[in-house]
Formats: sequence, structure tokens, C-alpha cells
Amino acid sequence: MTPDEAADLVEAIAARQDRAAFAQLFRYWAPRIKAFLMRGGSDAEIAQEVAQEAMIRVWRKAASFDRRRASAATWIYAIARNKRIDLARRASRPAIETDDWLAVFATEEEDADKSVLAGQTYSRVKELLDDLSAEQLLVIRKAFFEDKTHSAIAHELGLPLGTVKSRIRLALSRLRERLEKDVR
Amino acid sequence: MSGHSAPDELLLDWATGALAPGLALAVALHVALEPVARRTAERLGDVAGALLEREAAADLDEDALDRTLARLGSVGIEPRPAPTPVRPGFEWAPPFLRPHLDLARDWRRVFGGFEEIRLALPHDRHRVSLLRLTPGRGLPMHRHVGAEFTVVLQGGYSDATGSYRVGDFAVGPGPEPHEPIADPGPPCIALIVLEEPIVLTSPWGRWLNPLVRRGLI
Repeated sequence: MTPDEAADLVEAIAARQDRAAFAQLFRYWAPRIKAFLMRGGSDAEIAQEVAQEAMIRVWRKAASFDRRRASAATWIYAIARNKRIDLARRASRPAIETDDWLAVFATEEEDADKSVLAGQTYSRVKELLDDLSAEQLLVIRKAFFEDKTHSAIAHELGLPLGTVKSRIRLALSRLRERLEKDVR
Repeated sequence: MSGHSAPDELLLDWATGALAPGLALAVALHVALEPVARRTAERLGDVAGALLEREAAADLDEDALDRTLARLGSVGIEPRPAPTPVRPGFEWAPPFLRPHLDLARDWRRVFGGFEEIRLALPHDRHRVSLLRLTPGRGLPMHRHVGAEFTVVLQGGYSDATGSYRVGDFAVGPGPEPHEPIADPGPPCIALIVLEEPIVLTSPWGRWLNPLVRRGLI
């Protein structure tokens, strides 16, 4: 699903409660959210339940989606992540509001051209993930999929903290470097 | 130009939602105000979305979509939330900080001639405060037991480690005592997150330490 297609579908929900658009998003994203949750350690039944809850939140929050701020994939990830945090820490910590997380990415007055750019950069980053080493990807995937700090990851993998830090920094400089090259 | 960015691994911890609320707020302010950190945070957002999208689709129950569609009838679409209005005197606060600045909280003069607003964040045992320093004035000489995280929101300050402007992020200077002084210009306003109480190191400051430890000042 291209970033534009996904963004159009979310906006269709916001504009006219478009159930067909929701169904299309659901067929594509719900199975991926379920897989993401299972990779984070949820069992299949709970993962499916949370994926459905996350998709209902996509419906409820559709009007808050802003394609200038982030790609639909990023926005859906944030929703799924919060649903998982809700589930894991129901007693100990309230969920971080998705809106807060993405609110910092762009202010209201920023220009609309940014939406095209946000989608393109997203697509490029998706390709560039193949350029990262398996070790770098392991650390970053663990962080995003298991909601762990980099020090918790170092502990779990039995690696020195400095090694984990440098994997994160190398992966990000690689992405930044390649993206800059594209611009030139 | 600034140049004091949070380290990549802290931005990653923030992006994954793993930080306690006070530190998460400090990093969010840094990301909102400092362009280099903003770009890194946006790339981390892209990475998160891309990792999700590249997941192999798991099987869902056949009726999962129908059951979800059936529930939508009772779920309204929430209007985009209106931004919290700006409180006079707090124009420097980015929109997502405004809900924390309700009228119940106001600048309170603290020993040493600076002012503080302590923020109440649920589920966070760290001390999270906004500090305001008049130009040329500083915090009393102190050292840290735990980590200290600072993000500048207005004006700037300098200490032995460098000069910090709006959006800059500083991670506690370690065990050495330091004495930040506000730069000339508008008052310096910063959000500070302390993992442990500071220890005052000047001769007159030392006798205040028991009160600092108990969070009374």
C-alpha cells in the first residue's frame, strides 16, 4: 500500500465515515499489527483482539491524522504501540497519547508540500532498511516491537551498553547519509 | 545555531514509548524545537511504520473484519482536538506543553533567586520542573547524584560545558559541580528532569540539602 493510498483511506473515514475505506485498511493493516504484537510476545488470541481494538481506534481518531506530520504507517504503528502498552501495563502506567507523540513532528502552520515529502521519505526509508546490518536491525526491531529501552536490550542480549549505542547510531547515520545522497 | 542534540539512543527510547513521562516530555520538547533532533525523530517514525508494514501478515479469524465493522456503528469519529489556548505569559510553550500549565500552577520563587513551576506528571517519581532565571543570574553551585536532563525553552544559559539555546538538550554534567548562568536577553526558561535530588555544594547551600532531599524546596 503506498503512503498516498493509505493516507487517502484514513482521510475518507474522517470525511464521510467510509466503511469500505476502513475495510481496505483493516485487510492490509490488521494482520500486520497482529504479527507485530506476536513478535513482541503476545499470544495469537490476544494479538488479534488488540489488532481489532487498534483498528477501531484508527476509525475513531481518523480526523486527527495529518499526512503532513507522518505517514499513515507511522500513525498506525503509534496507535498499535499504545494499545499494546495499554494491555501490558494497564495497572502501572497510562498510555501515552498517540497525538502527543506525533504532535511534535509538525506545527499547524507548516506548508502542505510537506505531505508529499513525508510520503516519499517514508517509502525510501522502507527500502533502506535492507541496507542496515542484521545486528543493527535486531536492536532497532527489538526497541520498536518490544517496547524496551536500549539499556534493557543490551542487558537482554548480553552486550555492552556501548555496543548497543553504537549499533543504533550507525544505523541512523546510515539512513541519514543515504537520504542526503538522494536529495543531491 | 545550536548543536546540543540528545543522543540517538535516547531519541529511540522516546520513539518506542519506553521513557518515563517526565523524560519523555523533555525529549518531545527538544524534538519539537531543535531541527536536527526533529529530523532524527521523523526518521525513527518512518522506521517504525516501515517495520510494521514489512511484517508478514498474520492470519486473522475469517469473521474478524465483519465483527469489527459491526462494532463501528456505535463508535463515533472524534473531531480533531482544539489546541489548548495560550495562557498569557506562556507564549513560549509549544502546544503540547500547554495542558500542563494550568492556572493552578504559577512561578514560585525558590532559594538562590530562581523561579520554579513543578509539573505533576502521573506515574513519574522524577522531579520535573520549569525553571526561570533572570539574565546574569544562575542556579546555586550544585552536583548531581542521578541524571539531570535539561531542555531550553526560552533564552539561553551557559556553564563550563558550553552555551545552550532554545531547543538544546543537556544530559547531566556528571559528578562535577556546575553553575549554570542565564545568558543576556529574555529570561532563560528550561524544563529540567531530575532523577535524584541535587546536592548543593556552596558553604551556605549545604545546610539546605536535607530539605532538598525531602523535596521541600
